[in-house]
Amino acid sequence: MTTTAIRAQRPRKSNRPVWDEEPSLVGKLAKAAFMICYAAAIVIPIWAIVATSFASEEALQRAGGNLLLIPTDVSVQAYQEIFSGGALTDSLLLTVILTAVGTAISMVLTIGAAYGLSRPGTVLHRPLLLLILFTFLFAPGMYPSFLVVQQLGLFNSYWSLLLPMALNAFNLIVLRAFFMNSVPRELIDAAKMDGAGEFKTLFRVVLPMSKAILAVIALFYAVMYWNIYFQAVLYIPSLDTQPIQVVLQRMLMSTQGLPGAASSAAQYQSDVAAPTAALKMAVVVCTIIPIVIMYPFIQKHFTKAVITGAIKG
Amino acid sequence: MAALQTSAPPASGGSRARPRIGRTRTFGQRLRQDWPLLVLTLPALIQLAVFFYWPSAWNIIAFMDYSPYRPFWDNPFVGFAWFERLFSDPYFLPALGNTLKFALAQLLFVFPLSICLALLMHSIVSTKIRSTFQSIVYLPYFFSWVLVVTVFIQMLGSDGLVSNWMLGFGGDRLSFTTDGNTFVFLAWMQWTWKDAGWGMIIFLAALASINPSLYEAAAVDGASRWKRLWHITLPGIRPVIVLLLILQLGGILTVGFEQYQLQREAVGYQATEVLDTFVYYRSIIGSQGESFGTAAGLFKGVIGLILILIANNVAHRLGEQGIYQKS
Repeated sequence: MTTTAIRAQRPRKSNRPVWDEEPSLVGKLAKAAFMICYAAAIVIPIWAIVATSFASEEALQRAGGNLLLIPTDVSVQAYQEIFSGGALTDSLLLTVILTAVGTAISMVLTIGAAYGLSRPGTVLHRPLLLLILFTFLFAPGMYPSFLVVQQLGLFNSYWSLLLPMALNAFNLIVLRAFFMNSVPRELIDAAKMDGAGEFKTLFRVVLPMSKAILAVIALFYAVMYWNIYFQAVLYIPSLDTQPIQVVLQRMLMSTQGLPGAASSAAQYQSDVAAPTAALKMAVVVCTIIPIVIMYPFIQKHFTKAVITGAIKG
Repeated sequence: MAALQTSAPPASGGSRARPRIGRTRTFGQRLRQDWPLLVLTLPALIQLAVFFYWPSAWNIIAFMDYSPYRPFWDNPFVGFAWFERLFSDPYFLPALGNTLKFALAQLLFVFPLSICLALLMHSIVSTKIRSTFQSIVYLPYFFSWVLVVTVFIQMLGSDGLVSNWMLGFGGDRLSFTTDGNTFVFLAWMQWTWKDAGWGMIIFLAALASINPSLYEAAAVDGASRWKRLWHITLPGIRPVIVLLLILQLGGILTVGFEQYQLQREAVGYQATEVLDTFVYYRSIIGSQGESFGTAAGLFKGVIGLILILIANNVAHRLGEQGIYQKS
């Protein structure tokens, strides 16, 4: 009617295709309200945590809870405490090292196998691939894995956090699909024609073409190592310096005042007094920061690289 | 995701372009040509052998009266005795029940939510709004469970921000982060917060691969928005839905460990005990021994394997690709 007539005259601002009808106002508002609420449920807690980490203890007490939205007198005391060289500094440092070393190991394993299995028809290709695919169907179980870690002498060794989980079969398959479908076969053949061996082809031709997906997979591994918690609880219960997630969990328990919390918190409390809310939140911020820093990169590349690679693969 | 097929079709000019002589080469000749590829694969295979297949083989102690203090073959075989023990254990059936309850809740209330979120996103035309919303909702996927549980306690715990607001409005403090009876609801909120956005991204990628001219043709023929959703969009993402359903079914007894272990003290073990925490608390740090814990884990692994094979078979019968093809 009239509105349609007006809309037809106006140059189309949105990129809605011509055949698609404009949704009703109510529908639009409902959608907008839902999306705003959903986003707020994620943004507000993160903001409150950051704000609280900069709050002084008095401001927090005035607010009367364990989180506040606006820090009135900004203080960086909590961060000074984290980086002052105590147990928290050690823990952060350990987690950074574990993440770096673990990601490097994982990438070597994943790239090697993904390239080695990227050409159907080569010797032993199919049985080896089946060995890897079987890991999707079955899990050996927690106790046998624990026994093997013990037998190898890795119990209470940091290697037990790196080696057992070094290979993620899903990442391997995604990277393999990329090598198979997105690296032109002609380039590989041409490199071979020029006398390059497999190793040279991999390093000079294939890897430089796969930078984006390699970065995304490396980041996935990095996030996995950064978030290590369960393996630390299981495999390194008696080491003094624990990954940051374990420390965070102990700090949390130590102030919840729950029966049973004392045992897990005792180790932490022995060298640090009951952590203030600001300190706890500052540790939370420290565990979030690396993820937020690398996040835009994942954002940019991964929907393209990983998912399309996996689905079309 | 068809990547999981074992017999992915060769890329253009792939192996089929190899000269036919290739078929008649001896194993030795092929080995001489392809050995660098094997060398590259070797580190990953060693890792798998040591940390996947070796522990898998150790599952045999579920059928033995195993003790680490005697030579391995001196441990007597006891058949299914440990599994009988398992089913008569007072904590096992409740743990199994909880596991199934959580898996079902995920299947019914998180999985469809991801699809709905993706459909909602798909209907938003503005790329700016889409990308902003997407980047916000799947950020928590990368957070650890420790972090997620912390956020929930800080926000919704009895001293949390929301409790404070409620007090300010004359209400009561919230108590459901420490209430075993409502733990499923709490867990559902945590799954949604952490994982629904991620699920959305996967379905969005599937939606993006639907040919837009289908929509145009349908619209020109007078199909309404809902009709297009029903006849084009949903059939378009059906393979991905089926694939993820199969994987979910296979993992039905694997609902995770950290989320439950982290909230065990606050909520109580009755509400949070799942099979993985059962193995950990009863056997690894408990007193039930190696064979008992291994039997519980093997039960879980075998049920998962059977379910995934059945689900995949059903998918094949329904004409879907599933996770692997019959070959």
